[in-house]
Amino acid sequence: MKTLQHTKYALFYLFSFFLLLSCEKETPEIVEEQELITTVELQFQASGEAPQTIRWEANQTNVPTVTLKANTAYEVAIAFLDESDPADVEDITEEVREEADEHQVFFEFSGVTVDFTSGSSDTLDSDGNPVFLHTVWNATSTGTGIIKAYLIHEPTSKTSTTRAGFGGETDVAIEIPFTVVE
Amino acid sequence: MNKGIVQYFFASLFFIGLSSNLYGQSCAFSLSGRIMDLHDETPIFGALVSIEGTTFFTQTDASGFYEIRDLCAGTFTLVISHVECNSLEKKINLRGDEIFNFELEHHINELDEIILSDSKLDEISTSVKEARLDKDQIKQNSSQSLAEALSATAGAGVLQTGTSITKPMIHGMYGSRVGIVANGIRLRDQEWGADHAPNIDFNAFESIQVVKGAAGLKYGGDTAGGLIVLSPSKKALKDSLYGSTTLNVETNGRGSSLTTQLTHSYLKGYYWSVHVTGKRFGDFQAPHYNLSNTGLKEGNLALKIGRTKIVKGWELNYTRYENEAGILRAAHIGNIQDLYTALNSEVPLRINPFTYAIQAPKQRGTHQNLQFSFYKTTSSNAKWEWKYSYQVNQRKEFDVRRGSRSELPAIDLKLQSQTVLGSYSWEKGYDWNFEAGINGLLEDNFSNPNTGVKRLIPDYLKYELGTFLVGTYQPSNGFSWDWGVRLDGVFMDAQKYYDQADWQGRGYAQLFPRFEVQKFGTQLLTNPRFRFFNWSAQTGVGVSLGSEVESNFAYILSQRAPNPSELFSDGLHHSIAAIEYGNLSLRSETSHKVLMRVSKNSEVFSWNLEPYISKIFDYIFIAPTGLEQTLRGAFPVWGYRSTNVFLAGVDFNSKITIHKNLNLDLIASYTYAQDQVSQNPLILIPPFNTLQRLKYRPQKGNWYFEVSHQLYVKQNRFPNSDFQFNLIEKGTIVSKTVDISESPEGFQKWDAVFSLELNGSNKIKKQLRFIVQNLTNADYRNYLNRMRFYASEVGRNFQIQFTLNY
Repeated sequence: MKTLQHTKYALFYLFSFFLLLSCEKETPEIVEEQELITTVELQFQASGEAPQTIRWEANQTNVPTVTLKANTAYEVAIAFLDESDPADVEDITEEVREEADEHQVFFEFSGVTVDFTSGSSDTLDSDGNPVFLHTVWNATSTGTGIIKAYLIHEPTSKTSTTRAGFGGETDVAIEIPFTVVE
Repeated sequence: MNKGIVQYFFASLFFIGLSSNLYGQSCAFSLSGRIMDLHDETPIFGALVSIEGTTFFTQTDASGFYEIRDLCAGTFTLVISHVECNSLEKKINLRGDEIFNFELEHHINELDEIILSDSKLDEISTSVKEARLDKDQIKQNSSQSLAEALSATAGAGVLQTGTSITKPMIHGMYGSRVGIVANGIRLRDQEWGADHAPNIDFNAFESIQVVKGAAGLKYGGDTAGGLIVLSPSKKALKDSLYGSTTLNVETNGRGSSLTTQLTHSYLKGYYWSVHVTGKRFGDFQAPHYNLSNTGLKEGNLALKIGRTKIVKGWELNYTRYENEAGILRAAHIGNIQDLYTALNSEVPLRINPFTYAIQAPKQRGTHQNLQFSFYKTTSSNAKWEWKYSYQVNQRKEFDVRRGSRSELPAIDLKLQSQTVLGSYSWEKGYDWNFEAGINGLLEDNFSNPNTGVKRLIPDYLKYELGTFLVGTYQPSNGFSWDWGVRLDGVFMDAQKYYDQADWQGRGYAQLFPRFEVQKFGTQLLTNPRFRFFNWSAQTGVGVSLGSEVESNFAYILSQRAPNPSELFSDGLHHSIAAIEYGNLSLRSETSHKVLMRVSKNSEVFSWNLEPYISKIFDYIFIAPTGLEQTLRGAFPVWGYRSTNVFLAGVDFNSKITIHKNLNLDLIASYTYAQDQVSQNPLILIPPFNTLQRLKYRPQKGNWYFEVSHQLYVKQNRFPNSDFQFNLIEKGTIVSKTVDISESPEGFQKWDAVFSLELNGSNKIKKQLRFIVQNLTNADYRNYLNRMRFYASEVGRNFQIQFTLNY
């Protein structure tokens, strides 16, 4: 009698594990990464010169370099692209333009002194501050150095002159070696 | 039925009885029967059976049998009484030899005692003593989190991510190394994340035990840190409706919380209960600024029905927990340059005015549990117990994202788990107790692909099957020996996409070609499958040395399989600007722990000293491995690895009665933890800390006043994870060190509580508490808070707490 009862319970315990059996899992879908920036394009144009375009791509080994002339005004346009799917390239610059209040482009230079101001076709935010998608550069010294281009998300200030001053989160920070010649 | 008819019926019966009494002739009838226990149907011996107004009486024998002879026909009132039971009166109409069986109920407190002593057997281990939070302490901490409520326990700490996301720590360990057991089943809630607070409302429980070590083999053998066991109240076997409500109103965070519960228990052992908790807080405030986006919302529900009797019982229970917590806005950063700027700023880089609104970054967790359990005690005091639980945990994390995607979670995980626990416990003689059982788990994780962000944790299935045998030998009150063994098989079956470059780069193409399934563009679908077999064992003794001194000694072996985050993690952590990678080559970690305890219990001075040492082989941890160049700049890469570690520490607590009205509690703990391979200290180990609490309670008063002082010294033992990066400063490149390793200065914190019991009616008890936290408004940062890089801890808080017990 007692043995029977014990057997009954023990069997029940074992069978209860069948509750845990589950079906096969389906193959997971590939995640389509959104708001991904894979490429930054910088276009340099000085009057009377051929335009230069440099592309900075994630996962590329050779970083392109750029050569500029001193004391020459360059129109510089920056573009952000998502080329993760070559068949469907997305222009993130559009998104930045639409959300001008939440974005800021900024440049820093080492080795060479470069001044930059907002260009004629630049985007302005709702307070009239330039986003610097389109800028005019003027190098006042020669030498080699690095251009650091930033895209800042939700900056805490829109009128600073330093990266730290803008605050916010860095969405893009790339370094491009460059040379300024006479 | 017509009420009138019933009355007539009884009235006529009465007259029949009366007439037969008046005109009765024969006085040779007998009345007999058995008196049994109402709840477990055991015979009651020694019950007195008498007939009111006569000298007829008798007592039941060992089988509960009674007999009264030579009775005349008629109507009597039979009175059945027993010292341990409620008396029973019964009108009887005797017309011949009759048999009347009765069921008596033990006094309520008697039954409670039986149930309580039963719960004493629930003591997780006799050789590893637990620390316990009782009902009153749970109430006092009702607006806090589980980890905070436990933090006054020596050896328990809190790992924080800001103010409202807290994780309990035991002996410097947390996450998968600390198990949380609620209603006898392990909580399954993505516990692997340092920023994942346990998804449980501890207000729905009546006792919380902290076991420092994997001594509760019934619940698992993988918790080298320890176990936190939450138990519900025992239901009284009487007809009663009772409950309690606690309201907290607080100045810091300008929030409040309300927790209320109602239980109805019935004489026959049935009961139901409802428990509801709601919390709402806005931004918390540090002494000098608002901690923007640190608000909190929580809503919990627990429903229960069941029947509890001494021999058998069952319970069906459903709980739902939902929580939304903001993460300090300033802690959401883009890259290491942002981190560097934040580290070098005295105040958070984003301070907005106070608000109740919770924006991204934030996390939302929902946990539901449906559980059924039953137990049955057989004749020979053996007990069968079976529990089944189905838990669904949903976790969503929201980042600040471009293009109004902030309302789309960046992490969206759904973890479903089913647990079965069947056990059989028995006694051999009075000295030996045994329990054996089996424990199964099926876990199914689904990572929603619609987040638009690479999965941090992949889809996986996990099976666990464990079996255990534990026993105690207690020949006297002065000596006990306990032991246990457990074997677990853990099977993981994951489906994960890797970047083909990563799969090659980390050497997996050579190590695990068998996991490769199919290539999709730059992605590779893999099916990693792992099997782990883990042993755990425990043995210990407890000895009483004289009437006041007691000593325990225990050894615990535990093994833990790597968790999904350690194996598969793949993504960017915004709050520390780090890329985290799991490691498919990890093995189970093996921990050996020796715990000692000496305690002295006396009226004037009671103390308890618990030193321990522990060695863990293949201890899994995350450490920086290099830099990765991305479009956002260079990022430090952190990867999971394993090493051998040595831990040692001591916990001390004491209670001194300075004066009959004045008590002083002293609690201190220290942990030493060293990575023996790299010869570096382990990260995030609590520094030496003390808690002193002075309590004045007048003997005749209905109030008390308590002041407590907490001290955390600076943690001088931390590994160096600093790294260098380049910054352009005034036209030149300069190299900067990102100092994420250095611990903040030590701190002191004062709290005070004034508690007053208000006179209410007998049935309703009211209690009012005034609580001040961080009395001096001290501005400090805590090494164990992952937000310490960005902001100070919460400043002064005034809290009013009102409790009604009814």
